[in-house]
Amino acid sequence: MRIPPRSTQVIAVGLLGGATLLTVAVLVFIIVFVLDKGLPVVTWSFLTSDPEDMGRAGGIFPIIIGTLLLPLLSLAIALPLGVGTAVYLCEYTRETRMTRVIRFGTDCLAGIPSIIFGLFGLVFFVGMLHMGWSLLSGGLTLAIMILPTIIRTSEEALRAVPQAYREVSCSMGATRWETVRKVVLPNALPGIVTGVMLGAGRCISETAAVIFTAGTVASMPTSAFDSVRTMAVHFYILAREGISNENAYGTAAVLILAVLLLNLTAYWMMHAFIRRRAR
Amino acid sequence: MNSLVKIAARGFSVFFSGNLALRSITLEIHRNAILGIIGPSGSGKTSFLRAINRLNDLHPDSHIEGVLQLDGEDIYHPRFDPVALRKRVGMVFALPIPLPLSIYENVVYGPRLGGHPPPRAELDELVEHSLRAAFLWDEVKDRLHTSGLRLSGGQQQRLCLARVLAMQAEVILLDEPCSGLDPISTAKIEEALTALKSQHTIVLVTNNTKQAARVADKTAFFLMGELVEHGPTRQIFTVPNDKRTNDYVTGRFG
Repeated sequence: MRIPPRSTQVIAVGLLGGATLLTVAVLVFIIVFVLDKGLPVVTWSFLTSDPEDMGRAGGIFPIIIGTLLLPLLSLAIALPLGVGTAVYLCEYTRETRMTRVIRFGTDCLAGIPSIIFGLFGLVFFVGMLHMGWSLLSGGLTLAIMILPTIIRTSEEALRAVPQAYREVSCSMGATRWETVRKVVLPNALPGIVTGVMLGAGRCISETAAVIFTAGTVASMPTSAFDSVRTMAVHFYILAREGISNENAYGTAAVLILAVLLLNLTAYWMMHAFIRRRAR
Repeated sequence: MNSLVKIAARGFSVFFSGNLALRSITLEIHRNAILGIIGPSGSGKTSFLRAINRLNDLHPDSHIEGVLQLDGEDIYHPRFDPVALRKRVGMVFALPIPLPLSIYENVVYGPRLGGHPPPRAELDELVEHSLRAAFLWDEVKDRLHTSGLRLSGGQQQRLCLARVLAMQAEVILLDEPCSGLDPISTAKIEEALTALKSQHTIVLVTNNTKQAARVADKTAFFLMGELVEHGPTRQIFTVPNDKRTNDYVTGRFG
């Protein structure tokens, strides 16, 4: 039986629109559900006081600090390394067997479950290098974990910069580095920022690798060698150990709002940057 | 060394991935004159042009044979710095490609390279001078800090010319600079080129034989990677030596 094109059109629009609607609805439901359960717990004192009785009472202040410090540290390590590698692969080498092997390697690394990185961090940083369960061990482990993502997204962003810009810059007597710094990187920046946001998101939401390397101590770190607890880990422990479902939801609500704020800030900064350049 | 000669090619060939793109060209380009290079697509005009500023080096697998000299120096000598060469030899591309920067930033891009940028006042002067010489100043003087991408195609191409002029290059290479432009913009570019030859050596590759006839002092005809014939423009267009040149300039093929 042949279906007339008019009907297939209607069916296609219905199915595709339905898929979109369903996806958005599930997302909205999760966010509303968590915020509904969590927000009543979130007060000013919840945000600014230490946890008490393993998290049954008190707030999550040191945990918020841990959630800020750990991704910041890993980005501080992974960003220069990752973008540097991408620039090298994209701008300084020609496509050879070697670059293909490197690219294949980063793709494989990107697909490895985070717990493997956690195990590696536990054996290497925590154990062999005697860093203990610490901010530093966690930061280094997460940096390695997000490096492939940052390399690949940066590489894509660099490749999307028109070749003509490189030729023009080169034809005016720019060295390769001047071309990279003045033309290629500024134009690739929005894409690079996207990769960084993905990396930051993975760091913030990571639990397994963090527990293995940064530990779970829920107090204020005083040095890079102190253990920290992030909100995702705190949430996991509160819910898993049945300590306090209320405070678990409260933490989750704060986490969701923080990620939202982070994304909005990045989005706004990127647009400000693009507007400034394309006046 | 003849001081009249700015650029000299002797037995100069270009290969891309082992394929011959330009076969043993021998040609002298005189200073303070416009050389027009005509020929159908795929004749090697652009390969020759991009050999003069060593832009072919960007191709992952290109090599050359023979000699290409600028002021008597072999520009493909291993000790010759291609970056320094490109500061002396500017290029305007077929499509207008302003960098995604402001008009002002586009013009000062070249002068600011290399770590010793001139002071602001000097740059301001350079911008005005270059834009005037490219017949663009009056149209953009009130919006120098808006994006170069906001200009029309013809204006963008004149911006690209101004950008090369600000480098104070000795040689200006133009690769079919008017192929996408309207007749009025084309006339403005041609007018600018005629005025510029007193201070620059100009090599103009063009698909448009009439353009070569209008502005070039000498003309070279390329066909399938070979230089068929070159000489004073009037001679090439009226009494060429080679039948193929005659067929091309009279429009029998191409």
